[in-house]
Amino acid sequence: MDTSLFLVQLINGLQYGLLLFLIASGLTLVFGVMGILNLAHGSMYMVGAYLAWYFVEHTGSFALSAIISAVIALIIGVVVERTLIRQLYRRNHLDQVLLTIGMIFVFNALQSLLWGNDPLGVAVPAALSSAVPLTDVLEYPVYRIFVALLCIAIAVVMYFMINKTRLGMLIRAGESNREMVECLGIDIRQLYTIVFAIGVMLAAVAGVVAAPMSSIVPGMGEHILITCFVVVVIGGMGSIKGAFVAALLVGLVDTFASVLVPQMSSMMIYIVMAFILLIKPQGLFSS
Amino acid sequence: MLFNKRTERYFIWVFFPLALLMPLFLAENTFFVSKLTSVMIFALFVMSLDYLVGRCGLITLGHAMFYGLGGYLFWMIAPEYEAVNFWVYTFYICTIAAAVALVIGFLVLRTSGIYMIMITLAFAQMAFYFFSDSIEFGGNDGLFIYVKPETSIFGLSFFDLDNPIHFYYLCLLSLFNTLVFFRVLIRSRFGRVVDAINENPGRTTALGYNIFMYRLMSYVIASALGAYAGYLFTLQYGFVNPSMMAWTTSGSALVMSILGGMGSIYGAILGTFAYEGLHYLLEHLTEYWMLFMGILIIAMVMIFKNGIAGYMEKLLEKRI
Amino acid sequence: MLKFNTLRTAVAASLATLTLSAPVLASQDSIKVGVMLPFSGVYGALGDATRNGMKMALQENAAQLHGRKIEYIEIDTEARPERAPEIASSLLSNSEADFIIGPVHSGVAMGMLKVLRGKDTVMIVPNAGAGPVTGPLCSPNVFRTSFSSWQPSYPMGKVALDKGYKKVVTMSWNYGMGKESLDAFEESFTAGGGEVVKKILVPFPKTEFQAYLSEIASINPDAVFVFFAGGGAVKFVKDYDALGLKGKIPLLGSGFLTEGTLEAQGNSAEGILTTLHYADTLDNDLNNKFRASYKEQFGKSSDIYAVQGYDTGLMIASAVNELKGDISDQKALIKALETTTVNSPRGDFTFSAAHNPVQNIYLRTVENGENKVLEIASPALADPGRGCKL
Repeated sequence: MDTSLFLVQLINGLQYGLLLFLIASGLTLVFGVMGILNLAHGSMYMVGAYLAWYFVEHTGSFALSAIISAVIALIIGVVVERTLIRQLYRRNHLDQVLLTIGMIFVFNALQSLLWGNDPLGVAVPAALSSAVPLTDVLEYPVYRIFVALLCIAIAVVMYFMINKTRLGMLIRAGESNREMVECLGIDIRQLYTIVFAIGVMLAAVAGVVAAPMSSIVPGMGEHILITCFVVVVIGGMGSIKGAFVAALLVGLVDTFASVLVPQMSSMMIYIVMAFILLIKPQGLFSS
Repeated sequence: MLFNKRTERYFIWVFFPLALLMPLFLAENTFFVSKLTSVMIFALFVMSLDYLVGRCGLITLGHAMFYGLGGYLFWMIAPEYEAVNFWVYTFYICTIAAAVALVIGFLVLRTSGIYMIMITLAFAQMAFYFFSDSIEFGGNDGLFIYVKPETSIFGLSFFDLDNPIHFYYLCLLSLFNTLVFFRVLIRSRFGRVVDAINENPGRTTALGYNIFMYRLMSYVIASALGAYAGYLFTLQYGFVNPSMMAWTTSGSALVMSILGGMGSIYGAILGTFAYEGLHYLLEHLTEYWMLFMGILIIAMVMIFKNGIAGYMEKLLEKRI
Repeated sequence: MLKFNTLRTAVAASLATLTLSAPVLASQDSIKVGVMLPFSGVYGALGDATRNGMKMALQENAAQLHGRKIEYIEIDTEARPERAPEIASSLLSNSEADFIIGPVHSGVAMGMLKVLRGKDTVMIVPNAGAGPVTGPLCSPNVFRTSFSSWQPSYPMGKVALDKGYKKVVTMSWNYGMGKESLDAFEESFTAGGGEVVKKILVPFPKTEFQAYLSEIASINPDAVFVFFAGGGAVKFVKDYDALGLKGKIPLLGSGFLTEGTLEAQGNSAEGILTTLHYADTLDNDLNNKFRASYKEQFGKSSDIYAVQGYDTGLMIASAVNELKGDISDQKALIKALETTTVNSPRGDFTFSAAHNPVQNIYLRTVENGENKVLEIASPALADPGRGCKL
């Protein structure tokens, strides 16, 4: 591999990694604060993509569609937490797993009912549709650069939110000792609703921004879910910083494995995960 | 008494006699015999998982690896056009699967909780892609088994595996034996230590037990039985496919185990029959079976605190 | 009280068992058509279209059925191969279907074949292209109305040579259909002196193509030949455009690359050359009529999958007609099916000895969001049926 191809692949890997971070961040946040393993997280990514398509078709504006989709996702998050998840806090973790598997079935069925099974596509918004030439043949689309920057921006915002704001303080407190937070007169249930809704929204937003550069198909959520879990586990469950590092790692490993060891590329991220967990059984940045 | 819960005794007295007589009612309908057979095979698989997850507290999302391995191993070690002995190959397959489990268990049992879920998943995904990507093993399209084994012991043959009714009884017998085996195991000294570890690993270590070895042994036993279930599945239709190893297979087994009542062992049968029965009914009723399946799963989590077995025990065990 | 509870336990425990044996009612006169297609998940759209097409054909040709009604038993395969033998055996011995139609997915086809080969029921494959179905595993009672994966790809090798391409990169998912398609292209392309400089197999169903496309750009071949379908095809074509390869390196494909996906691919698909046994714009009366009434009935455009389903229906109707409604003699039924000429929207076709269609393969290009026919790339092309002893 010559230098220019190496650099191109480096960019590909980082960009894929950043998108993975966006999808995985909500998952790790919800697990860290609430201890809930939300298997329906991938479904929310799918819902985001479908909503983006639906509202682009109806409003014609991608930005508007993104905002509406994010708001709907927030509402879904609040409703699901209030009606379903809340009932199960005192129960076994595996009951929560079962519940979220039930939700996957429901979301998949609703997707099929509402939007059908045909593959759908969203056009890249006109303002971002140009491309930057990299080599003689290869170009880099501005939209993908925009998405990468957006992911970085969201990572930064999350970092500040968790470390500098009152909500972040509560989140950190809730992670380390939820009884104490309750004793201090803070309504932990309110906090849980907010965190869960934000987690759902992050997944949906990832689905929205991914929509113009991917195909919107049934089952897209389950496929990404497993990769997200790999990211979250390598990083250390509940650690946003860990998820960021792990997402970039997974993105790079997957990209370079595809080119360098194509016969083994599908196994590579799992080999890396197994290797990391054998050395650090709690992931890279466990608290 | 081996079955110390009255609910379990009732269940066994209802289920097994019914299952024993079922082919008499269904004799004309070979499909339902086959369908019940495959549900029982999966129940056996779920039972082995239930022991790991419910009794040992070792949650794995990679159990399907052994299910698939059971099928692929048979294809690999048995000659293609010659009937081998079923019992001998059962021994081979379980032994090889146990050896694989010993190595993998040695690695994965260093982790726990969610990390263990993920590392078991990682190994299963590696196995899945290994078989799915290699042409020698039939790739994504899978493989055919052309000749089924014969089942003679000392010249006596009780089962003809090409006969669906015979195969049904072989699977029923296997399921019953597995249930009894786990009960004996749970009541043994070994099983009590495993229960103690699940209750409080720290204290059990303090009592001088090597908890890693107990967990490893449990993992090996459950994996070998999981492979046995996969071997039976492969023999039923003579078809092996990497999708047997997919994480969704592990996932649905986990769902059935939780649904049945984790750690109750016999709940695995309840959970599998409930899930498969619902699936069968719904998919014949409506194309949107997923919607109802999902709603029912959610409803059952809400209603049954400890699965179906737990619910039944609540009804039956209060008055003694 | 205790007794009551015991009873309840008994009922609860046996409920699952008993419900399984619910009787299936069926009228004596109807022809039972078992349908094994994916109605959910990634392949859901293909299953829908196939079923629609088939029902439409049987409805339009109801007169040919000699008064016999059609009873459909439809089961969602979820494209899960490990469930295929069970569902097939359910349709075979529980529903006692006269015809079993399916599947879309090649792995499922293998599982079905395991159960249905040599049985009394006729199996008709309306899509899955797996070579073995009409190759080494062919069987008198198994037919295919779609294609073998060899068929649509083989003629593209010659097309590529005619265009003057010498060095080509091939790419597809790493599974049976994909590999067979690439091999077929390579067979005719290298026979004419072309060279496949790199063959890329992407793990199925991965759709992160960026790394591979960057590599292709650095190789800079004369052209790229791919097999992808459905959602993967959408993503691939969009990525190919977004990364700037479109317009610089010509993209060739097995026709599935642009079937049922054009709307989602948008502008990115314009100009792609593909070969397939059908094209939307084939200008014949049958096709025009078919497309119009499909659109009217189902509210969306038809595609290749709908045509394949439609032809499956036509084939059943014509065989039933020939036997005057009495399909109880399987030998006669198979004979009738074998000798049928299907008057399909894709053009008339017949069956090879291995029961695979002998059909025209068209060269198409995408123009204004439609697959436009350029020419017949290979007339009446028959799959070699390697390994079939029929």
